[in-house]
Amino acid sequence: MKRTVPLMIVLVGGVLMIIQYFIPHRISQDIFDNYTIWVPIIGAFALALGVGSLTRLHGHKVRNKAPNWPYSLAVLLPIYLMPIFAFFVPVSFGGGMDEPGFYHFAFMHIQVPIQSTMFSILAFYIASAAFRAFRAKSVLATILLLTAVIVMMGQVPIGELLGSWFPKLGLWIIDFPNNAAKRAIGLGVGFGILATQLKIIFGVERNWLGGAGE
Amino acid sequence: MKENIWSRMLNLDRRWIFLFIGVVCIVPFFFPFGLPVLPTAHVISIFDYVENLGPENAIFVSFDFDPGTDPENMPMAVAVTRHAFSRHIPVFFTANAPLAQGMLESGLAYITNPALEGYFHVVSWQEWAQYRDQGITERDQLEAAWEADGNVLPANSSGWVFEGRDFAKLGYLPYFSLVILGMTSSIASQYPEDMNGNPLVEMPMLQEHKSLRDVDLAATFSGTAACTWWITYGREKIGLPVAFGVTAVSATDYTIFIQSGQLIGQMGGLRGAAEYEVLLQNAGYFDKPDRAFIGMDVQNAAHLLILFFIVLGNIAYFAGGFHKKGALLKGRR
Amino acid sequence: MTRILPLLLLILTALAAAQTVEQEQQPIPAEPEIAEASAEEVLDIPPGDISPLAGVDLTAPGDITVMDHPDDSGDRLIVSFSPGSEAEYADLFAAYIIYRRPAGGSDEEWTNVGVMPVGEGTQFVDGYDPDFPVNIGESYEYRVSALYLDETEVMGEPVIAQEVASGQWFHQGKVRVLVACLIFLGLIFYFFSRARMGATMYLRPIAGIEAIDEAIGRATEMGKPILYVPGLSDISDVATIASLTILGRVARKVAEYQTSLIVPNRDPIVYTVAEEAVKQAYLEAGRPDSYDPNSVFFLTQSQFAFVAGVNGIMMREKPATNFYLGMFWAESLILAETGSLSGAIQIAGTDAVTQLPFFITTCDYTLIGEELYAASAYLSREPMQMGSIKGLDSCKAILMVFITAGALMSIMDLLAGTQTLSWLKNIVTTQIVD
Repeated sequence: MKRTVPLMIVLVGGVLMIIQYFIPHRISQDIFDNYTIWVPIIGAFALALGVGSLTRLHGHKVRNKAPNWPYSLAVLLPIYLMPIFAFFVPVSFGGGMDEPGFYHFAFMHIQVPIQSTMFSILAFYIASAAFRAFRAKSVLATILLLTAVIVMMGQVPIGELLGSWFPKLGLWIIDFPNNAAKRAIGLGVGFGILATQLKIIFGVERNWLGGAGE
Repeated sequence: MKENIWSRMLNLDRRWIFLFIGVVCIVPFFFPFGLPVLPTAHVISIFDYVENLGPENAIFVSFDFDPGTDPENMPMAVAVTRHAFSRHIPVFFTANAPLAQGMLESGLAYITNPALEGYFHVVSWQEWAQYRDQGITERDQLEAAWEADGNVLPANSSGWVFEGRDFAKLGYLPYFSLVILGMTSSIASQYPEDMNGNPLVEMPMLQEHKSLRDVDLAATFSGTAACTWWITYGREKIGLPVAFGVTAVSATDYTIFIQSGQLIGQMGGLRGAAEYEVLLQNAGYFDKPDRAFIGMDVQNAAHLLILFFIVLGNIAYFAGGFHKKGALLKGRR
Repeated sequence: MTRILPLLLLILTALAAAQTVEQEQQPIPAEPEIAEASAEEVLDIPPGDISPLAGVDLTAPGDITVMDHPDDSGDRLIVSFSPGSEAEYADLFAAYIIYRRPAGGSDEEWTNVGVMPVGEGTQFVDGYDPDFPVNIGESYEYRVSALYLDETEVMGEPVIAQEVASGQWFHQGKVRVLVACLIFLGLIFYFFSRARMGATMYLRPIAGIEAIDEAIGRATEMGKPILYVPGLSDISDVATIASLTILGRVARKVAEYQTSLIVPNRDPIVYTVAEEAVKQAYLEAGRPDSYDPNSVFFLTQSQFAFVAGVNGIMMREKPATNFYLGMFWAESLILAETGSLSGAIQIAGTDAVTQLPFFITTCDYTLIGEELYAASAYLSREPMQMGSIKGLDSCKAILMVFITAGALMSIMDLLAGTQTLSWLKNIVTTQIVD
């Protein structure tokens, strides 16, 4: 029963949505509209569950003084403090970086720099990965290496100074050989998606319901 | 395997690479090179498209990115917004996530910051209420009436922007893909009010552009695949023209949409934003390019350094004879 | 530009004026009060001069035909009309204004439902404006006027719509999509049934999938946890669903081996599904007591905050095995490189093509594109699952035939100047815009 009901819901819902795509009639549109109303409602409840899970996990660590428990405190405090500050000190338009209010301050001067720093780590890792990966170990690896150099140099003004063909060739590589490969993978992915959806709708794949499906 | 200079070079501790990258990212800020940036076709097509729009049109500028990709996405969004504001094209601002709304606030605060040269002076919805009451809502008439009442544009400003006439801050709504879908029928059905609680239906720009069908461009700036929602629900459903601004690592993902004609153009990474800034400068909108252009120096230096490391790795690989031995030491540490 | 601006001014004011009419429930004025800018201004006529149209006998647009819009939900009508004197006075013509009222309604009920500026033809789709919806089955009356730059509005005769709006039960524009769907679905179901009947099916080995068991075993031997990241996308992304199906199998093995599992989530709905999948896997493995409710948790919805959180887990908990299966974006390299630094064995799988190079560089095994979707079948070896892979391959074979034909045709077109590719394009592509 615990399995059958969700599977039936998925089967009926899935088939209905496939059929709905081909029917422009008002009734069909209403079904779709109802679906779009339900999605955010479920999402809102799931978000509450998510925050609850995070609180339970880190609350547990703080209470038991588990290893690295101060990190858990660093998670819990902003989760609950930021909405409080946002509620009592609303953000108003204009004023740039000098905007008063702790929420805005924390967002602009803590959250944005921290997250931008996380993203900027990518530059370091890309350099390190490029150093390790781009070795002319074979003919194919050499082609990959040269392609990477051309595209990379085409992306920066210094490449243009070395030769105006750099950016043109770089763009050509992105637009044609790259897109050809992408489409080939993309088509496979598309059919993979189709097969996965069908397996789920018709109950062939039940793993998402938990376990190995036996 | 015997340790020698080549094997050490090949197995260079990644922390050295990190250190060098760190240094070359900082130095150009103090000693800028200011090398020219030549705009490419994918960016020129967006610029030209916006250039052909005017006060009778409307565009969406969607801040669909987190603070994480702010350095790449923000300059793009700022450049397109400044272009639209300069041409008096009404702009609807949206965000696909709660934090993206923060980025929207931050971007607008930058564009309208009086301390910056070339800023746009905001006239809030409440400030021009009396002109609305008099029935003055047409863009040029409104500006004329506003200035006739003694309001003087500051010398360092690029122009007035009237909230509700030149822009509307719609902001974030959950499940944004469905919001886009809803806006294909009616914008007001999704956003009865703007972010500040102002009634959207009373805004002249909404009365003239009631649904995405009446909108001429959606420019989305994203660090994830959220940008494709505009293609799926906007372009494919009602033929809405769409332009992307995406991070450099994701840029090649979406060029297929340009080839298929589903995308007007795309700005990829800081370079794309710098190109747009140069186009704005070349068209005479602003005296100098903005933040992305400055950042290009860092990209130049970092790209050259990465190239240097690639060459170094290959020299070590061949000079050390590793290509013959067929066994490459693992470069991890 | 000089011509467009006054034109625009007129259209906007016409719209505003017409809507005022609607709001105040007044009949259309015989001489619309449009002009903020006078005709003299817009046409550069010196003040006091007479408009060029003064005394001219202008013909109004007529022959209005109203048809139901095909392939819609019954909320649109197509209004076509023939032009009046506009072609003759093209330089002075501004726009057509379309008015509507319920059939047999009073003059007060005329509503301006649309303005078509010059150059937009003589066909108007009514029903797009959310303020003036078209109702199913309701009979309407239309009239069209021609608006000139000197404010002259020449009003056409009202016509009762020949058709009423009705919804259709099948979208004619989607026939090709339906045919393709039926072919592809048919193939997949054919292989489902073959598999059910016991046909043996060979699947080529995929190293990344075969390494999953080995990776779980390694973590067990080392006594360290396994980190499983089900991607950063939401549940509507099929890559996420594929990842959750693999998670179910991984969790069952983990439960059998008594290893600990860490599953951080970025999306709250994905979190709830992942939690349920893992809990159920432990139950099926017969070890419900070993299930740790803190093993699956929601972290944050923010992309890079999530990465920071997962990287922190990697550096503190030092998992022996990291799985990155699902949808990843710019953060892929940061995750995988940190995992590599922590010394974990890493298996990645994504259909995000631009992130594949990063995973290939930093992970021990990478499932490329559709391999992610095939993983569940590989792991289970269930006949039906294997059948789906075969069905998928046969669909791809059809597509490859079309692509090869397209390539050959395009070369032929290039060499012989023929147009065969467009013929093929017409067969396989379809433009669907509502």
